[in-house]
Amino acid sequence: MGYESVVAPRSRQGRKRQQALPEPRRPRPALARAGLVAAGAGLGAVTALAITAETGAEFRAAGGAATFLGSLTGLVGTYLALLMVLLVSRIPAIERVLGQDGLLRWHRRLAPWPISLLLAHALFITVGYAQAARVGLWHQVGVMLSSYPDVLIATVGLGIMAAIGVLSLRAIRRRLRRETWWLIHLYMYLALALSFAHVLALGPSFVGHPLTRIVWSVAWAGTAGLVLCYRFGLPVVRSMRHRLVVAEVRQEGPGVVSVICTGRNLDKLPITGGQFFFWRFLTRSMWWQAHPYTVSALPQPPYLRLTVKAVGDHSAAVARLRPGTRVAVEGPYGAFTKFAQQRPQALLVAAGIGVTALRSLLEDLPRNAAPVVLLRGTRPEDLVLRKEVADLVRYRRGRVHELVGTREQMLLDERSLPRLVPDLHRRDIYVCGPEGFVTSIVDLAARLGVPAEAVHHEAYAL
Amino acid sequence: MRRAGWYLVTGAVAGFAGVLGFHVGGTAAPAVLGPPTRTPAASAAGSAPAATPSARAGGATGSARTAAGSVVQYGYGQLSVTVTVRGSQIVAVSVPVLHTIDQYSQQLAEQVIPMLRSEVLAAHGAQIHGVSGATYTSEAYARSIQSALDKLHVR
Repeated sequence: MGYESVVAPRSRQGRKRQQALPEPRRPRPALARAGLVAAGAGLGAVTALAITAETGAEFRAAGGAATFLGSLTGLVGTYLALLMVLLVSRIPAIERVLGQDGLLRWHRRLAPWPISLLLAHALFITVGYAQAARVGLWHQVGVMLSSYPDVLIATVGLGIMAAIGVLSLRAIRRRLRRETWWLIHLYMYLALALSFAHVLALGPSFVGHPLTRIVWSVAWAGTAGLVLCYRFGLPVVRSMRHRLVVAEVRQEGPGVVSVICTGRNLDKLPITGGQFFFWRFLTRSMWWQAHPYTVSALPQPPYLRLTVKAVGDHSAAVARLRPGTRVAVEGPYGAFTKFAQQRPQALLVAAGIGVTALRSLLEDLPRNAAPVVLLRGTRPEDLVLRKEVADLVRYRRGRVHELVGTREQMLLDERSLPRLVPDLHRRDIYVCGPEGFVTSIVDLAARLGVPAEAVHHEAYAL
Repeated sequence: MRRAGWYLVTGAVAGFAGVLGFHVGGTAAPAVLGPPTRTPAASAAGSAPAATPSARAGGATGSARTAAGSVVQYGYGQLSVTVTVRGSQIVAVSVPVLHTIDQYSQQLAEQVIPMLRSEVLAAHGAQIHGVSGATYTSEAYARSIQSALDKLHVR
């Protein structure tokens, strides 16, 4: 098909980025730093709010300490929940610096905190109020649920939140299908919405303080707006604009297929080599789920290509896609790009299907880059796209090492890696592949004294 | 990102200090509760029952007069205080109107109102210090009393 004839000459000559493609937006770390400072400022502000809402006498009165801890944990927990939502809203300025990977890592790291703080909030407030009213705990629970405004519904929200928290525990989450877990996880938005009202109706920092009420409401409305805009609006607009349609599905290796899509205005797609999209194939069985797959070659209007290895239900179904299937995309995402490079040259390491990200990243490297590429695979046929990679590297005066064999035969360690790449000290390391492989290379790089900011990785979690 | 924690902590300190500064600046005003200004208009508008100017000068003599203070909304509910004076001496204070948005606020108000009552009786007016831990209730109480005193033309 068309792509073959378009791709082949290009990779053979390894031309640099086509003139027609727009220069992608460069990540600006200063913006991410400003975001961090703002996030910290919010945290400080809510802590101060909780403290100033309580006087010394109140604190010493019956139930005062518990009530204070209750409002502190409530405010901080809710604020952290707001940050969690912001992290997954994929604000492009932040995403370009941290990458989807980084955003999700922060999201995951932060996740246990808001849930446990909010559970503590409910507990402390109930204990505090019960002590103040000199009634039993269970009596107080009944009173709060029945007579306090918006508390019942907020409790329902907390219940949903706690249930999702339990399902997200690693041991349980592993047993769930990725799609199932993701759909359940969306109920978190509902839980947050349900708990919003009781904060404004009862929170000592909000009752009678129009300013804090306004700031709080604007922060949440703004966050909801960002989620709608970047998770929903932008993908819809992009998909409508480019109108991607499957043109061909091609076998690349055992279990590996390339999907070639045609689309309009692909010359205006702001993508950098190494980035990926969430792909939503609009068939009867697949339309409801979007999966991240790397673009395995920069767009060559009117073509765009992704390469997928069948590891799950979805990726196996990709191999059976029919030409003419319409495709919606969300992205591009990822900080695994040329912009991340800190040192003069690059070492690119890929295992298995991880080669896709390196393939498009290579296209972005200049002619004199002299990249060193390590391709790992158990069998020769596992090295998909090896010919394209070889052509791109040769044009850039680099070297490719194909490491075919079992892990024991092709051990990458402190001795073998420097032997393959003697000038490691002047190279960034880009590594892409299954999670275990990526971790081993990242650890190895650390042991070899490569600074962490010069190691870039993208793991394929299944 | 490098030094992420550092940026986060800097922001947190700034945010904390900012809110604290704002709070201190905003409440540095009078430590003594009560409406900041008592306008003559308020007393003129009052429908005080038979408030005679001469009675104001007297001590604890003369007939007792009663006025209901305005209903004051505060964050957790609303209340109104009724004051009885003999001459210019406050002899009785009661709270006929008390609605709160939840039971906790009700309990708090019920604990606090007797304390406020004794403060008012001791201070002979609305210039009370209030009960800490019940700032809004105390403020509302003081304002309602002041409006009642205005109706009675008691200073």
